[in-house]
Order: sequence, then structure tokens, then C-alpha cells
Amino acid sequence: MLKPLSADRWNDETAAHLLNRAGFGGPPAAIRELADLGLDKAVSSLLDYENIPNPTRDPVWAVPDPEGNKNLRDAIQKATPEERRQIQQQQQRLQFDRLMELRGWWLNRMAKGPRPFQEKMVLFWHGHFATSFEKVHNVYYMWRQNELFRRLATGNWLELLTFAGQDPAMLIWLDQAESRKEHPNENFAREVMELFSLGEGHYTEKDVTEGARALTGWSLDRLEEKFIYRPLFHDDGIKTFLGRTGNLNGNDVLAQIVAQPQAARFITAKLWSYFAGQPPADALNDALAAVFRENGNNFKPFLRVMFRTEEFYAPAIVRNQVKGPVQWLVGSVRMLECDLPPAPICEAVLRSLGQDLFAPPNVKGWDGGITWITTNTLLARYNDAATLIQGAFPPLAASDFARKPGGQGGAIAERQAQRLRIGGVSVDKIVSPEELADKDLLVKSLEHRLLQTTLRDEQQKALRDFLDTKTKLDNADVQTAIRLVMATPQYQVT
Amino acid sequence: MKNEISLQTRREFLRTTVLGSALSWTVPAFLANTFSALQSDAADSATQIITGKDATILVVLQMAGGNDGINTVVPYANDFYHRARPKLGLTAEQVLKLNGEIGLHGAMTGFKELFDSGNLAVVQGVGYPNPNRSHFRSTEIWQTASDSDKVEKYGWLGRYFDNCCAGADPTVGVTIGGQLPEAFFAKTPTGICFTDPRNYRFMANGRRGPGGLDLTEQAYEKMNEAEAAQIVAQASSPVRSDETNGQDARATTAAPDDNSGGTIGALAAGMPMQGGKAVDFIERMALDAQVSSEEVRKIADSVQNQATYPASQLGNSLKLVAKLIGGGLPTRIYYVSQGGYDTHTNQIPTQQRLLKELGDSVKAFMDDLKAQGNLPRVLVMTFSEFGRRVSENANGGTDHGAAAPMFIVGNKVKAGLLGTYPSLAPQDLYEGDIKYNVDFRNVYAGVLESWLKTKSAPILGHQFEPLQLV
Repeated sequence: MLKPLSADRWNDETAAHLLNRAGFGGPPAAIRELADLGLDKAVSSLLDYENIPNPTRDPVWAVPDPEGNKNLRDAIQKATPEERRQIQQQQQRLQFDRLMELRGWWLNRMAKGPRPFQEKMVLFWHGHFATSFEKVHNVYYMWRQNELFRRLATGNWLELLTFAGQDPAMLIWLDQAESRKEHPNENFAREVMELFSLGEGHYTEKDVTEGARALTGWSLDRLEEKFIYRPLFHDDGIKTFLGRTGNLNGNDVLAQIVAQPQAARFITAKLWSYFAGQPPADALNDALAAVFRENGNNFKPFLRVMFRTEEFYAPAIVRNQVKGPVQWLVGSVRMLECDLPPAPICEAVLRSLGQDLFAPPNVKGWDGGITWITTNTLLARYNDAATLIQGAFPPLAASDFARKPGGQGGAIAERQAQRLRIGGVSVDKIVSPEELADKDLLVKSLEHRLLQTTLRDEQQKALRDFLDTKTKLDNADVQTAIRLVMATPQYQVT
Repeated sequence: MKNEISLQTRREFLRTTVLGSALSWTVPAFLANTFSALQSDAADSATQIITGKDATILVVLQMAGGNDGINTVVPYANDFYHRARPKLGLTAEQVLKLNGEIGLHGAMTGFKELFDSGNLAVVQGVGYPNPNRSHFRSTEIWQTASDSDKVEKYGWLGRYFDNCCAGADPTVGVTIGGQLPEAFFAKTPTGICFTDPRNYRFMANGRRGPGGLDLTEQAYEKMNEAEAAQIVAQASSPVRSDETNGQDARATTAAPDDNSGGTIGALAAGMPMQGGKAVDFIERMALDAQVSSEEVRKIADSVQNQATYPASQLGNSLKLVAKLIGGGLPTRIYYVSQGGYDTHTNQIPTQQRLLKELGDSVKAFMDDLKAQGNLPRVLVMTFSEFGRRVSENANGGTDHGAAAPMFIVGNKVKAGLLGTYPSLAPQDLYEGDIKYNVDFRNVYAGVLESWLKTKSAPILGHQFEPLQLV
């Protein structure tokens, strides 16, 4: 088990699989380049991203602002109820604008940045420590958490768990900021075990209440916008947590969790599921967890082994993962070498597909897999493809745009949306003159770029029938053909 | 087009397939439907494909987040209540009294009217043994009707679809929302979901061909229907689940219990499935989407609402459900939800807003159905994953608890207070929570047996005493 893929199986197909899963896919040239590197170097080219310069700048508001917070607090205290409502509305608008900016900022890193694997890991951690702006109500905190996931994307398990627990967004999201010894709040204590590290059945209700007691004192300084330990909130009594007894604190709780063999098994299974598209069999996960523990619970060396194993390239794994909405959008942009649409459009598209970044449905994150596909999200994919390819803004996305919380409703928003420029696909860039002139070649080229496999005969025929309604194809026809390939079941998997 | 395909392959299909029991999930619902209609004697006798205007309809309304049942159905005269809730406790003046002990939260004027007119039943103290206080786990327990220490793959409504609606139109279950709830997860995926019927379609923006037909749309239809024939052939092939030679991708994935990867059945996070590649599942959805989008849009465009709903997400959802019922969609189960009940902090304004929205929306819905003449066909059932602790917390809120009331609304219900209010006396509490008097599966059993007219044991796993609610 966990044997590296043999050299003779490393080719364009396996390289495309690696790029699709460890990144967001890419155009044929990028796949070729990866294939030429050989397996080990290809894996390192994705995983060892630290030395790749990253040009993305932080949003201007991405700094703590104690002064501004104090002024705002004072202003609210002095305000009349009417003024207070106005300030609140203003703040809400500001937050929604920033949230949209943040979504665009992150998607741009995924779609255009030089470190796709790092961003794929950030997306994993976002789904894992699923925290929502809907409760946190502070975009700066959401950005900070996102940066935390980026900084520790492939780092150490205990370090990540500890920083995630002390992260301001998390302190609000699971109520740890409100917890004090008189009334320990159990929310974080429970979810950290159930959803983040061990899974149900690997702790008792008693561990939850005792863990909550130990975690008291972990709190949030809302003016300074950072974690603070408040000794007065902390329960100094003796607690027993997962078999360890003493005057335990928050750090002890997380250390005790990571000391459980189950904590390794839990996270390796989840990482395998995320990248391979389905849970590992028990024996496979035992082997994966052993690698993880041998490497000091560090993610990078574990992932390097994982992406090289032959199990990862098994026929049942390849092209059998439903693309999540982010993968669908970012992957399409990468494969088609087109612009990422402006942030408001991306926001509307992802909403229509069922994945609002920074707003997962609950702390369990997105269920993923085939639950991404319902009759309506499928139709949305087919329609959003037109937005992306043709630069058209169909009513679907427009009305979702109008429904944006805090956004303007109805016709105004739809008109506003129509004015947003969406690049669309430059046909000249991805289709050669020979392909444009030869319909057989064109279909082959689109299949290769978009599916890395072929359409079924009936589908090919339907596409050819469409193309055959004109003798000489123009760019708009090719755009429509691309949309049609994207509007097939096969395009929805990777 | 659809008929062409089904006619081509029908004979072969019927020769090799026993209807009702062997319908694979890969068979598109419209084909299954066609076959069932053609071969009604072959269909399982439990099958109840009822279409038209006479079937009963259940509307499930989820109050997500764990509603504080104690401040919803309020024991306003109880001393223990006021002692446990010095800040949040509601006085006799603040509630809508149902009797000398119990009243509805003051915001629920809509529910009070329904109660007074004999259209509302309050089932008191509903829960289950060994309550779980995790949102996700407890929601899952309610959605799958499982024991609290067991994990069920399929939802209770999904098992209803599997047991009673084989071969039904995909619109037999309709969720207003972006994702199917776990309650709908079924061996044979059934049910559709959407948020806005106007957008529930493929939007063409290409050229029109001869006869004004849109060429893009035509191509899309073919590229998403072309597999239907293959799907049928595959489903009807007797070797399908025996072939494990690893060469044919379709065959390798058909073994339902293969947990070693490669089967959708192994997807822990996703909807549980038996065999099949992800793409097969999507093909099925693509067909269901084509067929149902046409039906739904036709109705949403033609039916008018006859009541005024509050401007809220729940109001809009029920407005849409009323239209679909009025238009005669062959749906047995509608599912709507309202979120925001997780009131750990500053509960008073939040719960006030949510309960008002709930009461007013359901009242408008009932008025609308009455005007349509469909009121006698419809039953609304609310649930929330748990109630909240008896004692308020330090943040003006309440933490996760256990038992809570359910509401059953309709003009056939046994109106009034059902069951008894759980004791709030400290010695009667379990870890700070009230104890349940009615298992929620007794309520489900009542709904299944007396409203949906089907045996509840095969769906709920055991025979639960059906609560007499209609």
C-alpha cells in the first residue's frame, strides 16, 4: 500500500488528474508541462510553493483598527436611536461591500495566482473549520482566518488547531468569546471534537462539559480585534478531559485531542476524501494516518506521499469527483484561459451553484460530493456557463445578484449587473485557425481541453449538428459550442 | 424525443426488469414513470402514485437552529419558569393565552387565530431518548428518524418515497431551497428543489433555426437526453452488478457494498447512493431537471396567490408552495425552512421577529389554500432539531436543549394542545433540560398513517404508536 505510481503510468492523463485535484486544473499546455516534469517534480512544483513569489496585495482594510472601533463605539453611545440605526445600516453596507471584495480577492488567488495548491488547501480548511460571516459579521476577521489557513495550510496539526481555536472569527462563531467559568459555553468544546478533530463516538458528553470548563478564559478583545486570555473567566478547578486530569486549560485540551490516534485518522480521512473524492477504505486510512504520525503530524510530508501513491490514481478515483462550485468556476477560468468575472458576478454565480464563500451553511461545512448536484444547481451550472463564456448575464444570475443581502433589489440591480463587464472567452486564444476551419478538429480540441475525455457518440452528433447549421464558424459559434460542452453531465465531474 | 427513446427501449427493458423493486436509480424518473404507467399491474402494490387534485399533501416546515420551545409555547403561570428565566421570562400579559397555564409567544398572532378557529394542534414536549445537543447530529436524527445512537443513511421522507412512490414524477417531493434536505435522501433519489421557478430552466441565448426553434436549446436537450437510451440499457442489463473485472467503469462501480473507493455509495459526505459513477447520477438529475422545469414554470406563471404574505423568505417559500398546489403539481411532500433560531445571545428581538414571520406566513398560506379550495388536502408540520435549556444563559440567550413543541396545522387536525407540558421543576429536569413526553417518531407515524395513508413501520424502522392528530 502507498506505493508510488509507477513511472510508466505518469502521462498527460495522470498529470491532468494531479492538476485538477491538487490545484484547479489548467489548459493543455500546463498539463503537458507537468507531465514533462515526472511525478516527483510535478508534485513538488505544486506543493513546494513557498518560494514562488506571490504578488497579491492585502485588501486595504485588512489591518486591525482599534482607533476606528473606539470612535465607532463612542459614536453609537452618543447617537439617538435614529442615528444609531443609520450607523448600523452604514456599517452593514460597508461589511457587505468588503465581503464581496474579499470573495473576489480570494477567487483571484485561486484562479490567477501562482500557488493553486496552497489555495486548494485554504479552501479545504475553510470547509473544515467552516465559519460563516453570517454570524461573525466582521469581514476583517474572515480575512484574518483565511490568512491563517494560508499561513498554516500545510503546517502542523496541533499548531493549526490551536490557532484556529484562538482565531477571532472562530471565537465568535462558536461562542467561545462568551464563555466564562460561571456559564461555560459548550459550543466550541463540542464541535472541536465532533467536527474538527475526532468525530462522533470518540469522546463523551462529560468530555464536552469538562473541555468547555478548561477552555474558559479564551476570549476576544473586540477593540484590539485579537485573541485575549482572560484569567478571570477561567475555571481553575480540576477537570478530566479525554483521560487526562488536572487544572487543564485550552492549550491542554487541544494537545490532548491531538495526542489521540483518532485525531490523525480523522484528518487524514478527511484530506483523502477531499482530494480523492471519496472516503478511504479503513486499511488505506490506517496507512495514511501512520504516515501522518511518523511525520510529526505535519501535513506537507503526508500530502507529498498521498499525491504520489498509486491509489490516488486508481481508475475509480480519476474523473469521478463532482466539481464543487468553486472548483467549477475557478477550474473553468483556468482551463479556458479567460478572465475571472468581476466580484459581484462571481458572488452571484457561486450563490446560484450553492457555495457562498465565507458563508457555509453550518459548522459542518458543505456536504460536497453529489449533494452539489440538484436539478436546480445543475441548471444553474448550465446557465452560468453562458455568463462565463459569452459574457452574457442571464436573468438567473441577475436575480440572484438582486437578492444579495444588502444589495439593491429588482430592476435597478439587474441593470447595474448588465453594465458589469465580463470578459468572456477569447476564442482566438484557445482555438487555432485550423481547428476553427475543421469541425472534427474543433470538437476534439474542445473535448481535450474541457473534459480530458470524449463525449458520447450521441452527444458528439448533437454538437456536430449544431455546428453544421453553419458552413463557416465564427467566434460566437465556438463560444456557444464551449457552453454546450460545459452543459453536459461529464463537465460536472473532474 | 422522450417518447421515441422510451418506445425504442421499452420492450427490452420490460423483459429484464421487475418493476417496482428493481428500478435502479440510474433510470430517469420520467422513463420509470412511463413504464409504471404502462405496466401498472407489475408495479409494487405499496406504490401510491397519486396525481391530480385529490391526494393529501404534507408541508414540512423546518425551524432551523433549535427553536426555544419554552418561549414559544410559554408556561407563563409557572414559577419554575420565571425563576429559571429572570430576563427572558414572558408574563401573562406578554403571551397569547391558550389556557390558564400556557400561552403562545406574543408575536404569534397568526397561530393564535389558527388555534382559535380549530386549525392548529400543538404537540407538547416532543423529543427522543438520549437527546443529542449538536445541531447537526440532532437535525440528522430528526431528518432520518433514527435512534440517537444510530446513523441512518436515508431520510424518513426518502424512505417514504422509496416505499410508496416508486416510479413517481420527480416532483413528488419539492424543496424550496438550494439543496435537498437530508430527510429527502433516498435509495432512489426523488424530489426536486429550486428557489425561483423563473430561473428553473436552461436559458438559451443562441441563434434560432428553422421554425423558430432555438438551436442552442435543441443541442442542449439532445446532449442531455442522449444518454437516456444507454441508461435504460444499462439498468436492464442483467450482468450489471456482477461484473467486477475492473475494465468497464460502469460495471466496476455497481457493487453496492464496495467500500473501497469507486462507488458513490461510499461518499460519506454526499447523499448515500448504491453503486454508480458520479456522472451517472448527474445524468439522471439532468433529465429530471429538463422534465420538471417545464412543469413547474407553467404552473408558477399561471396561478395567482389569493392571500397577502409577509415579505420574508419563509413567506415567499409558502407563497410558491401555494401556487404549485393550486396548479396541481403531483407533489405529496413540500419542504420549506426558516433559519436563525440558534439564539445563544440576545434572544428576545430575534425570536420575536422569527415567530412573527412564522405565524403570519403560515396563516397567509392557510388563507390562500382556503381560497383555492385546497385547504382540506394540506397539512403543515413544523419541527426544530431541539429546544433550548430551561435556564437562560449569561448573554441574554439560551443554549442547546432537548424537547420542544411541534405545530400541526390544517383544517382536519385535532386542534388544541396535545400531550402534556413537560415539568419544569428542577428535580424533573435531565441535565438542565425538560424531558420529552412524545417521541417525534410517534408524530411522524401519525402523519404517515392518518395523513399520507401508508404503513409507518417500514418507513420508520419500528412500529411507533401513531399520534392521533387528524
